Amino acid sequence: MIAERRLSLELGTLDICFLVALHVRGEAAGLTAFTEAQLEDVFAQASAAAEPKADQLRRRATHAIQRLRDQRMLARVDGQGVVRTGEFALSRLASGIVQFFLEEDVLTRETLGLLTQSLRVAIAGVLEAARRAEGPAAWQDGVVGPLRVTITELVAGIERRQRGLDLSQEDFQAEIRRLLEADWFGAIDRCQDLLESTSATLRELNEVLLRDSSALLALLQDIEDLAIAAGEPDAEAAAHRLMDQVDRIVAWGSARQRAWSEYFQYVHRYLRDVVRLDPTRALMQRLRDQLAGAGRRFALAYAGAPPIRLLRAVAPIPDRPPVVRPRAPRERELAAEEGEDPQAVLDGKVARALGAGATALSAVTGEVTAALPAPERFVEAGRVAQTVARLAHASSAIERPWVAVGEDLEIEDWSIIGGTGGTGRAGGTAGAAGPATAAATGDSAGEPGRGPR
Amino acid sequence: MTRPGYAQLQDVILDPDFPELDLALRRGRHVDRDDVAWYALLGDAQDHLEAFYRRYGCELIHKPDGYFYLLPTGDKLSRRQLAGGDMLVGQALALLYLHPSTVERAGLHTQEELIAQLAAVMGSDALIRAFNPKRRRYDERVAQKTVRARVGEAVRRLAGLGFVELVEGDQLRLRPSLLRFAEPVRGLSEPAEALAQLVARGEIALEDDGAATRDDEALADDAAEPDRDDRASDDDDDDGEGASGGDGAPPVERVPGGDDGDAP
Repeated sequence: MIAERRLSLELGTLDICFLVALHVRGEAAGLTAFTEAQLEDVFAQASAAAEPKADQLRRRATHAIQRLRDQRMLARVDGQGVVRTGEFALSRLASGIVQFFLEEDVLTRETLGLLTQSLRVAIAGVLEAARRAEGPAAWQDGVVGPLRVTITELVAGIERRQRGLDLSQEDFQAEIRRLLEADWFGAIDRCQDLLESTSATLRELNEVLLRDSSALLALLQDIEDLAIAAGEPDAEAAAHRLMDQVDRIVAWGSARQRAWSEYFQYVHRYLRDVVRLDPTRALMQRLRDQLAGAGRRFALAYAGAPPIRLLRAVAPIPDRPPVVRPRAPRERELAAEEGEDPQAVLDGKVARALGAGATALSAVTGEVTAALPAPERFVEAGRVAQTVARLAHASSAIERPWVAVGEDLEIEDWSIIGGTGGTGRAGGTAGAAGPATAAATGDSAGEPGRGPR
Repeated sequence: MTRPGYAQLQDVILDPDFPELDLALRRGRHVDRDDVAWYALLGDAQDHLEAFYRRYGCELIHKPDGYFYLLPTGDKLSRRQLAGGDMLVGQALALLYLHPSTVERAGLHTQEELIAQLAAVMGSDALIRAFNPKRRRYDERVAQKTVRARVGEAVRRLAGLGFVELVEGDQLRLRPSLLRFAEPVRGLSEPAEALAQLVARGEIALEDDGAATRDDEALADDAAEPDRDDRASDDDDDDGEGASGGDGAPPVERVPGGDDGDAP
């Protein structure tokens, strides 16, 4: 919108001086509006300050007034048109600009004292309101509102002025430099005066801060206690926030005092060691010539003792056993050992079962495989059947019945006709071709008819 | 000068600050008012310590500008002298120290300002030649980079000797001992005469052509090998082949740089 309306301001030094002069005249004489004659009179004063050699005052005043009116700095307020000469007042825009340039937002002993006194009175009023407050509405109107608006504004005013003082400190340091550059030796007294005055200001500010901050904090603490007792978290938070701000202000004062103390010492040392010892400022020029190559080259000497050699603490080295080759041969001679024939063992087991009177393959299988884990029993069942067929006479019906052996194994059963303990062959169709078919139940229950080989 | 607490030298030596101060002084450290505890100790025990160090063939110098340092006058304690590049940087720092802008910033300057000062006084070409002495033809960008690197190294060495203090970032705090670089031109006498007096006292050594060339060669070699370790270069040159210094000055060891990193 601002871009569409192509708003702009064009103010020269004379225009700003004119506005400031109008503001000052209005403040001094209690004027809210200026006649044309007063405008021209004030312009003459501003012009004398800003452009003392300029002539044609009335003409330039007319142009200046018109420029300010065009830019909405001056507004005609009498509404009489051509009937008589007009009355003009500074617009809000002009007042804002003037205040920016004119307002001395720098913390001084007077402004700080005034602000802390006002703050104290305002907080005391809020404390009274907190003591009388009954109910949330009363707390809101009498305590929270003033704490958040009035008192926060006052505290912010102090902080704003602190920032102003910080800025003026920077200007001050630049001013010391300018003074020295302009008048080297002659600037010493002026620099020392500046240092003393700034030191005094900071010292006074710190005194005021230390004196008043404890009273402010005590009042705010009382408000916070009352808010806690009344169960008013908003008021408690507002008081707590203000206490933090007051603490910050005090910390600022201490920090600036410390920093200033260092700077103060530094400048005094510089004035003493550099400026007073070189009043004609010839040293800088001679040093510059020396650096540029005039005269013989030289080098500063200094002590250059090498660092002390500290010997490392030596730990005794433990005796290590000598490295030797093993004398005994690494590889042992191979020796023949008697092995156990698993088939013979099985034969023995089956023979014992047959000797005990077993009349069915299932009985022999159950006895021989009882001690084995389930997966091995399935495999062992086939071997048992083969062994039985070899050691005894077995017979079976065409449809061999499935008989459970334990909980997880079923086999097609045979009848055993007389155990021999010899090497006779099993009869019938069972025999070498795989005399029995076994089926595992449980994990292997889904594979009926799968027989061991 | 001796306070009651230091009635005897033994009291000084028993001070808890003495061992570190003693080591720092022997390594060329300049001690000024910013080294609060050390400066106070030196001030309070000056009489005892002057006699103490004299037995080692050294003078404990106290300048009116507010700093102490140890100056070997015999051969019991090693004696070194600053390299040509370090001298240039030191003189530029001394110029900055004297400039009113130092007051505005409470003694703080950046390394860029230091290089600008060097270039303004010496001229860019002379500055590049001073730090690239062996190269007849050089790439401007590389040569400028070498200058910046050499100046940075010199600043670190001077910081180790207490002439400047490295502050956070690129900033340097200038210290009063920098005025040693201006000693030959401080008095009312002619610089040549002042130089002769300083040489006689062993404060400085004049650079003869041979010594200067050797120094510059060391710099040039370093410039050709930018990654070379500084300490290694120090050790290479610290071979005890001291320049005589001429004019009756005590023999010195010439090194491109001194010890660094000893500052408390």
